[in-house]
Amino acid sequence: MPREIAMGGVLIPGVLPVFLICLLLLWVIDALVGRFGLYRYVWHPPLFRVALFVCLFGAAGLLLLP
Amino acid sequence: MSAVVKNPSPGWTRRWPWLPEFLAGERSSWAFVFKALLAMYLAAWLAMWLQLEAPATSMITVVLVMHPHSGMVLAKSFYRALGTLAGSAFGLVLMGLFPQQRELFLLSLSLWVGLCAGGAMLYRNFMSYGFVLAGYTAAIVALPAINAPLTVFDSAVMRVSEVMVGIVVAGVVSDVIWPGSLRSVLRQRAAEYFAHFIDFSRDSLAGGIARQDMEAAHLRFVRAAVELEDLRASVIFEDPEARARSGRMQLLNQRHMAASTSFQSLHHLINRMLRHGRKPVADALIELYAPIGEALSPEARERHQPDVLAARLQASVTRIPPLAAQLRTRFEDATSLLEFDTGQLLLRRFAEELREFSALYASIREQRLRGNVERAGFHRGNDYAGAAVAVLRTFLTMIALSAMWLASGWTFGAGAMLLATIFSGLYATSAHPLAATMYTWAGYALGIVAAFIVTFWILPGSDGFVMLIAASAPLLMIGPYLMTRSTLPGTGVGYALGFVYILALKNPMVYDPEHFINDGISQLVGLGLTGVAFVFVPAVTGSLWQRRRQLQQLRRQVVLAATAPTDGLLYRFESINRDLFQQITLYTSPGSDESRQLLAWAFSVHECGRAVIELRQAAAQGDLPERVAVAVDSAIARVAELYLAPDAPRWRRAEQAVEQAIDAGMQVPSPAQSRCRAVLAQLHILRGALRDDETAMAAYITPREMPDAS
Repeated sequence: MPREIAMGGVLIPGVLPVFLICLLLLWVIDALVGRFGLYRYVWHPPLFRVALFVCLFGAAGLLLLP
Repeated sequence: MSAVVKNPSPGWTRRWPWLPEFLAGERSSWAFVFKALLAMYLAAWLAMWLQLEAPATSMITVVLVMHPHSGMVLAKSFYRALGTLAGSAFGLVLMGLFPQQRELFLLSLSLWVGLCAGGAMLYRNFMSYGFVLAGYTAAIVALPAINAPLTVFDSAVMRVSEVMVGIVVAGVVSDVIWPGSLRSVLRQRAAEYFAHFIDFSRDSLAGGIARQDMEAAHLRFVRAAVELEDLRASVIFEDPEARARSGRMQLLNQRHMAASTSFQSLHHLINRMLRHGRKPVADALIELYAPIGEALSPEARERHQPDVLAARLQASVTRIPPLAAQLRTRFEDATSLLEFDTGQLLLRRFAEELREFSALYASIREQRLRGNVERAGFHRGNDYAGAAVAVLRTFLTMIALSAMWLASGWTFGAGAMLLATIFSGLYATSAHPLAATMYTWAGYALGIVAAFIVTFWILPGSDGFVMLIAASAPLLMIGPYLMTRSTLPGTGVGYALGFVYILALKNPMVYDPEHFINDGISQLVGLGLTGVAFVFVPAVTGSLWQRRRQLQQLRRQVVLAATAPTDGLLYRFESINRDLFQQITLYTSPGSDESRQLLAWAFSVHECGRAVIELRQAAAQGDLPERVAVAVDSAIARVAELYLAPDAPRWRRAEQAVEQAIDAGMQVPSPAQSRCRAVLAQLHILRGALRDDETAMAAYITPREMPDAS
């Protein structure tokens, strides 16, 4: 993935779409986990979600943007 | 930083009985102060690290979205992000359109900000906040660039980045560190309201409830509906489990509303029978209610267990029809049979709705969700005139400020306009905007003074980010602390905003007393002018004028029930009813004539509107004989006319039309009679509601000269 994407003459950092896709992914995971009530097994759900997002975003960023 | 509660010895608590409670309150306040400060400095640090232009904007964002409940913060943040994006996009477009024409530019900007304030009036919760922000961000992006149009794009990118940094930091900090969970509040409220409704249905023998009790219960049902919806709208941002249950919660609310309306209709029906000497029928209906009462009375500890209640109600629903058939044999004349059938129908509907309500509540509390539910959104009753007034006021404020700015060539006019934008939008929905603006103004002035002390006496000697925190935190923390005091609305926000804005943290820091004072003055003038605008174009929220309009709108709900397409109509009808009623109630003093009148109308609208909807559905389903169908249509139209503009002749016409429809239905030969039964029952309810001299109809009821006008 390119480091910068040109959109209508404006340079957008390549991390931005990755960030947004990760947010979307987190939202999907949240919807599934919420449906099955799995966050009840987690001590601190908000912290878990933040950590999960950091993992997702970190992994995606490192894999896609060398 | 947080006050530590040392195990208070009994001696302590005896001498100062208020102390433990005070300390608990202080502890949560200081936890909030700590969170707010942490988020502010973290946002500032990040903004500096990312080399953004104005880290102060990130801090301001944090101030504006911070709230003790993390659900509120996340909801506010979400809408703030949307508002910011929309606003900055509009700011760009505006700058692109009128780079050289100041007058046109300011006119369009004022119009945009005004429209956004109007939009804020039309939406509840934090969606309204998003609209305010859309207006404010357009101003914040475009105004500083007015002298150099070419920089507007960079300005927009900077503002959006700063705001986003502030939002993300505020959201993460408030969600992760000691989160004040809104979901537990929602859960507790839902359980309370469920218990109240179940107890009320069990303990009150339909028809025998005193009017005051019924009114109190109605107020509570309505509050429950609106409050649960408000909480739900914020909780979904906080908790994924709640978000997965969002549709169910909306449907649950609708079931609750439908069941409470049915219960009230049943009560009024039996009550009218008792008053008009139809005791045998009323007694039979009360006997028929017994299975429901029994189903609702399991052992004490299972009384409010929805799954237990749902199972028991299911059993009772199957018991009712045979019992009804048995009780029906007591009556022979057509009138009693019609009355009994009407009551029976209502009762069965209520039992079914109560069962669905309990079953749905039980399914929400389960860990795992199964299947999907239908969509049943909560509709709001909006007053467009109120929104128009807000548009006008904000527009006038902005135009006045723009004119002043253009005419005087005031260098700091942009700052004044910015602040006016924020607060004329924020307080447009408040009932006492003038007082709120005053408090905010005072807080703002204090914040500026405090920031002056920090900037010119303390900061110059400090070095590095840690020293910056050490220098500014002691005076800054007054702001979040004041935010937790509900007796001083707006002061805390004003203080923190004034402090952070005027401190204008930058890297490297700029010390310019002249700029500081000029900027401070322009801020206070802008805020002051917002207050002046609220004097000239007063707020409509809660005013007598708006309450009258809303009451009229409440009456028109019956017209809606009579004319709108039936698809999803019941949900719309019930939720708008509640929303309107709650809005009027908030500003009506309890026990006054106005309040009594409101309640009388609310009951009447509830009963008639619901009956009209059910009537239309029944008429659409059972293919009626031509003559009956025509009579029913005319009855519905006449009732709608009556509620559109109530007076005695219209009441007479409506009553006659309903009467004729009933006659037409009764004259149908017996094989086809059963098809008319549901329609007849609803017509009977409608006639009873119209003739009820204890509702708002009392003023229009005229004794008929001829017993039968047809």
